[in-house]
Amino acid sequence: MPPEAALDPRAWNPEIALVPFTLENGLQILVLPDPTLPVVSVQVHYAVGSRHEVPGITGISHLFEHLMFRGTATLGPEEFSRRLQAKGGEVNAFTTRDHTSYFENLPAEHLELALSLEAERLKHLKLDEENFETERQVVLSERKLRCVDSPFGLVEELLFATAYTTHPYRWPIIGWDQDLRRLTLEDCLAFFRRHYQPGEMLILVAGEAEPEQVYQLVQRYFGDLPPGSREVQRVVEPPQRGERRAVFKKVSQMEALFAGFHTVGLGHPDIYPLMVLASILSQGRACRFYQEFVRPGRAAELEAEVYPPPWTAADPDLFIIRAVAAPGEPLPRLEADLWAALARLQEEGVTDPELARAKKMLRAQTVQGLAKTFYRGLMAALFHLKAGDATLANRLLAAYDAVSAADVLRVARQYLREDNRTVVTLKPVSPEESQELGPLF
Amino acid sequence: MAALAALQQATLKNGLSLLGVEYPRVPWISLAFMCKRGSETDPPDKPGVADWTAELLTQGTRRRRQLELAQDIEALGAALAARGGWDATYVHLDGLAEDMETLMATLAEVALTPAFPADDFALLKERRRAELTQAMDDPREVANRTFTRLFFQGAPYGHAVRGELARVDAVGLEDLTAWYAREFVPEESVLVCVGMVPFPRLVEAAARHFGSWGGGGPASPAWREAPARLAAPGIYLLDRPELTQSEIRLGHLGLPRSHPDYFPVRLLNYILGEGGFSSRLMGRIRSELGLTYGIRSTFAWRRAPGPFVISTFTPAGNTALAIKEIQRVVQEVQEAGVTAQELAEAQSYYIGHFPLGLETPRALIRQVLNIGLHDLGLDYLARYRERVAAVTLEEVRRAAQAHLHPQRLVTLVVGPAAQVKEPLAEIGPVTEFPTAESGFF
Repeated sequence: MPPEAALDPRAWNPEIALVPFTLENGLQILVLPDPTLPVVSVQVHYAVGSRHEVPGITGISHLFEHLMFRGTATLGPEEFSRRLQAKGGEVNAFTTRDHTSYFENLPAEHLELALSLEAERLKHLKLDEENFETERQVVLSERKLRCVDSPFGLVEELLFATAYTTHPYRWPIIGWDQDLRRLTLEDCLAFFRRHYQPGEMLILVAGEAEPEQVYQLVQRYFGDLPPGSREVQRVVEPPQRGERRAVFKKVSQMEALFAGFHTVGLGHPDIYPLMVLASILSQGRACRFYQEFVRPGRAAELEAEVYPPPWTAADPDLFIIRAVAAPGEPLPRLEADLWAALARLQEEGVTDPELARAKKMLRAQTVQGLAKTFYRGLMAALFHLKAGDATLANRLLAAYDAVSAADVLRVARQYLREDNRTVVTLKPVSPEESQELGPLF
Repeated sequence: MAALAALQQATLKNGLSLLGVEYPRVPWISLAFMCKRGSETDPPDKPGVADWTAELLTQGTRRRRQLELAQDIEALGAALAARGGWDATYVHLDGLAEDMETLMATLAEVALTPAFPADDFALLKERRRAELTQAMDDPREVANRTFTRLFFQGAPYGHAVRGELARVDAVGLEDLTAWYAREFVPEESVLVCVGMVPFPRLVEAAARHFGSWGGGGPASPAWREAPARLAAPGIYLLDRPELTQSEIRLGHLGLPRSHPDYFPVRLLNYILGEGGFSSRLMGRIRSELGLTYGIRSTFAWRRAPGPFVISTFTPAGNTALAIKEIQRVVQEVQEAGVTAQELAEAQSYYIGHFPLGLETPRALIRQVLNIGLHDLGLDYLARYRERVAAVTLEEVRRAAQAHLHPQRLVTLVVGPAAQVKEPLAEIGPVTEFPTAESGFF
């Protein structure tokens, strides 16, 4: 049983300990020592995501993430996962717009095994036409699952493709179907040589591990990689000068709209008042959208969301409003009333109780997240990768706390403007009409 | 670690059982009130009653209307959620540990003194109608719901927990109040608390807020039977011409949670289809053949025998091939069992993963609720690893022979009939379903 003092909320310290190292070849290391539980989260992040792709090979970052599990000279296909899972590990990876991340959450005693296997697949990855082709088919199935056959996947793709004209955030992380079919093994190998090198890597270990021991292990397994550097890519999306609208027709029971407003990236302080604004609009059941639209049955769903820190994109991201009209509710009427609700907020501002509620809910959410070693690691790593400063993870609670009613009003007026808005509506059609419109992919 | 999972128990004077775990990691508390009767006690032809009752509890108490209740809860940063499930119905309240007293009082108010307001019931019904309509747009939901209804043929587990679109108007407020009056009784309820609070304080607060509750009753007898009839084995097809991928479900009747073969079957199923890349199904259907992004097999462990289901999806043209390969894998495991290495790796996965499964309040409360629901004993977590370790290869082999039934599989395909029907007919007779519009849902 824990000692009494350990059960006193006032004695709790939310600070994440951060110990940074850099190897001579440029590889960066972050250790988050935390003796609470006998587990570690080993994370290998590469600073390459869909934003580093070019038209014609979209989706290569994510497809490559799959290929990293296909084996090496000494490991069979998926044996990487099997060996670590057999130690109790949670093994997976994900690709975002800005980075590709691999992780193993496992008992602390297997730290070295995880690091050695990560080094093995980086140094000795074995790819051939056969396993490349198999994995291409897997990813095409994933694209159909997430995008083509899902209720709103293609609508969301059209939103980003319409809101961004210049910035690579305009294509989906999973890539366009035709690009996935066109990509070659040679494209993948070139991509691998260019981006999977120490200059673009962050290795993070959170949990029951000594910083010096982690440093020594990373040095042992990754220290002999030839030096590399990180390409900093700057792309600026031109400010939007007028509302853009698009229509997507598909078989659906529901009418819906997705609206996106250009906002800020993770490193910008406005992300915090934007989070509070999204919370006031649609978090919980006292919020404005629930009370005005969802509870009375006008909208099946009405959500305002911006990817929360540390998931916010590195470059200016979209604040998205997603409205699904309830059966019988005409979408144009719902849309008009939705903009009227926003205009009211932009006119009158927010009340003190709703500001206090939103801030408390965001605080609670953050505290809850800190229970998980994996998430603590991600907070530090993603702030490091996208905002250049892992210690921002430790300022999250204070940043939410500092948001004022005036901040919320300002960001509501500054970003949620009609000229800065892209709206995609989903118009339901019958299966016959859908077929006449041509194939979906 | 053992300390973290120390499960404590108290019984209040009215017979209500309290299970608690002291949790020192973050200043959080998760509270849950569990009534040990769920959607299996929905009146015949009134699917959704248990779940709607749970939802209506959150829509107002004798003291506070919905908005006031939500405002007060969210002012603490807390979250209230209630739902029906198989075998039990849950009211969850999560928040910061410093607010334990208020949270405990609020949970008691919500669970024990509902107002069941008629106007809120009318709104709830319309929200459910919208939600159930929207569910028809999600192929995975359609497959899950259709399989449940098809497979169980009207038995108590044979409908969707959230209700069925065609039966929305059959459910009245009086059904909810009657269900609540019958099923919410102290002797068949459990209060679970995981948080940064000493257990004696929890007992004291629980006694104050729950101790004098008398409840209704008599509760429905606990349902433990195998259904009298099930769908005939074979292939069933629900035509969705607009889909590019087929959703596939294959299943037969599984086992009750109380079955003595629980541990051998869990290990068996990890190897067959639950162990991600360590599983036979993932290895064959995804890694070798590239037919899908994901496949999994699940035994639904309930009070009465739940379904054993294999779930996957594949581009429509692969449908018949995927089904044949799945059947072959199940057959192989059923006939030949698993290897000693597979069993050893499955055992070390569950043993090594054990601490990761106790890391967060959410993960812990899930485990404790399960212990309370199935009366697994206060020493369940402490003995879990030794029980996993004690399973022998021979026990798994016998479990495979006794509990996998490849000849009894009921196979459902939701996909474009024009593409899949003919190839499916080569496997066996195909029964076509009425379309979604004809009221099957």
